[in-house]
Amino acid sequence: MNAPSSERRIVLGSAELWAALLWLAVSVLVAWAGWDLGIGTAAAPGSGFLPFWTGLLMCGFSLAVLWSTLTTAGPSIASLWSGARWGNVIFMIVSLVVYVALFETLGFLLATIPLLIVLLRGVDPVPWRTAVPLAMLSTFAVWWVLKRLLLIQLPAGVFGIG
Amino acid sequence: MDILASVAQGLGVALQPVNLLACFIGVFIGTLVGVLPGIGPVSAMSLLLPVTLAGTPEAGIIMMAGIYYGSMYGGSTTSILVNIPGEAASVVTCLDGHEMAKQGRAGAALGIAALGSFFAGTFAIVALMLIAPTLARWAVAFGPAEYFSLMVLGLVVLTFLTQGSMAKALLMACVGAVLGLIGLDSITAQPRLTFDRLELYDGIGLVPVVMGLFGIAEVLHNLERPIAREVIKTKLSQLWPNRAEWRASAAPVARGTVLGFFLGILPGGGAVISSFASYALEKRLSKTPERFGRGAIEGVAGPEAANNAAAGGAFIPLMTLGIPPNVVMALLLGAFIIHGLQPGPLLMSQNPTLFWGIVASMYVGNAMLLVLNLPLVGMWAQLLRLPYNVLFPLIVLFSIVGVYCSSNNVFDVYVMVAFGILGYLMRKVGYEPAPLVLAFVLGPMLENNLRKAMILSQGDLSTFLTRPISATCLVFAAALLLAPLLPALRRKRAVVALDETA
Repeated sequence: MNAPSSERRIVLGSAELWAALLWLAVSVLVAWAGWDLGIGTAAAPGSGFLPFWTGLLMCGFSLAVLWSTLTTAGPSIASLWSGARWGNVIFMIVSLVVYVALFETLGFLLATIPLLIVLLRGVDPVPWRTAVPLAMLSTFAVWWVLKRLLLIQLPAGVFGIG
Repeated sequence: MDILASVAQGLGVALQPVNLLACFIGVFIGTLVGVLPGIGPVSAMSLLLPVTLAGTPEAGIIMMAGIYYGSMYGGSTTSILVNIPGEAASVVTCLDGHEMAKQGRAGAALGIAALGSFFAGTFAIVALMLIAPTLARWAVAFGPAEYFSLMVLGLVVLTFLTQGSMAKALLMACVGAVLGLIGLDSITAQPRLTFDRLELYDGIGLVPVVMGLFGIAEVLHNLERPIAREVIKTKLSQLWPNRAEWRASAAPVARGTVLGFFLGILPGGGAVISSFASYALEKRLSKTPERFGRGAIEGVAGPEAANNAAAGGAFIPLMTLGIPPNVVMALLLGAFIIHGLQPGPLLMSQNPTLFWGIVASMYVGNAMLLVLNLPLVGMWAQLLRLPYNVLFPLIVLFSIVGVYCSSNNVFDVYVMVAFGILGYLMRKVGYEPAPLVLAFVLGPMLENNLRKAMILSQGDLSTFLTRPISATCLVFAAALLLAPLLPALRRKRAVVALDETA
């Protein structure tokens, strides 16, 4: 009795299985959205014609992927990140999300310099004496080229800097 | 004579100071991103797409094209000196190029890579010049059914050549097509898949999608593990290959050039496929195949010529049919559209200065690349010592700036971050982003042509099978879709399947 349950655990932990299920859900949503928009007729296809049929194709391909994950053992979710420095990945994503959230409020210069310092120091730290000048110089150089040379508008933020 | 007059007209455009500068910036950045592992031509081109808005269409597109073929040159430097491919088309150069470097023949390897690339690049431009006008005249007769079927074929070829499961690649192509349909329907103006978000009414931008899937996802992937680089310390003064090396390389360069050019033209094909195909061909033709992988100069000469010839060949379907054969060309199509231009059979007659200006700029760019890559190779080798922990924040900075400038909308930066996370997760579970991006670009065109063909035929679907070109494309696409079901063909596909866009 133990063997089947252990096999079941391996399948349920499979990253590919969950990915295929996610895509299947997206496929159904796309097909439904296409249906909702109106498929039209063969002589006068509606706005939902291609989304509907593409959604159905996606369902088919998702099911094919799902079938292959059930018949062949794929990597588990945990094994995909084993030995990886996944903390760096999360650190980078969080830094980017915080940056984008503050981008318009603080403006390009005030938001970008701290982001670069955080990235330079947070992952395989670069010495402070390199990180700070590099962050400032590269940000100011980009700002100068865009704002002064190419006349592209960058957000100045609530403090109006930049 | 017509062609010579057109080339002279094109040279007049290409040699204007602003276009010369654009060409130089393009090939310089191309070489730079080719040399630097972790950033490829796709990321660099999408990054600079908004910058091209500031100038004329000629300057912008000349610069973008320069980045692409420039990266083909630069990629070999990293492969030879560090054994890390600077970009995907140079993966195969590592095998013999780095072995040559370890044997103290780095100069000859770099020299033959640059000279072979120059020869192949020049051949591709001449062939482009001769083939494009004929093909464009022929393509004027194409109707919506032919365009639809050609696009389907292009997508199927790309999914066939993508690494891993074909079902996953096809799924990604469908996802890309659906993403491309987000926004207002071009015929009925009905909002589709917009979730009532005003920002989505214009659709999702190409730049945030590409920067996320290729730029940010690549950075996230690289941060997982330290990138070890050991640059070969060798004397780079002897860059001119000796007589024996020339003799050994001449035929592989010629074969690689022709093979690469034709593989580049095919929808879904590209520089990566051609470099691998050339390597396999040279190994098969060699009387001493055991030398391959141990520093055979033929293993550098053939693939390097092939990937450069393919880069030139890839311009043909875009410029004559308006159909991008790969992701890089899809970005170039984006550049054309941003400037209000539609590449296709009428480009040459309606906008001859632009068409011939771009072609002529490639001659100029090739000459610039030879100078950049031979005498200045030491400078690029120094650049390889730049550690990744310094490089990646700069890539992030340029990505953010590139995306924001493309629309002046912070929503696009969110889109980029979201696609970065999605691209990272997709790579983890073996979903390739290249079919998604190509289908994203082709999606609206595909739908437009499909609906037009159906309306014109009054709903008769046999129109796709009764028109010879359309039927040929669809039959070929169907054969490729069924091919993985046959074990022998499945094994063959596994050999040629590649990561086209790294």
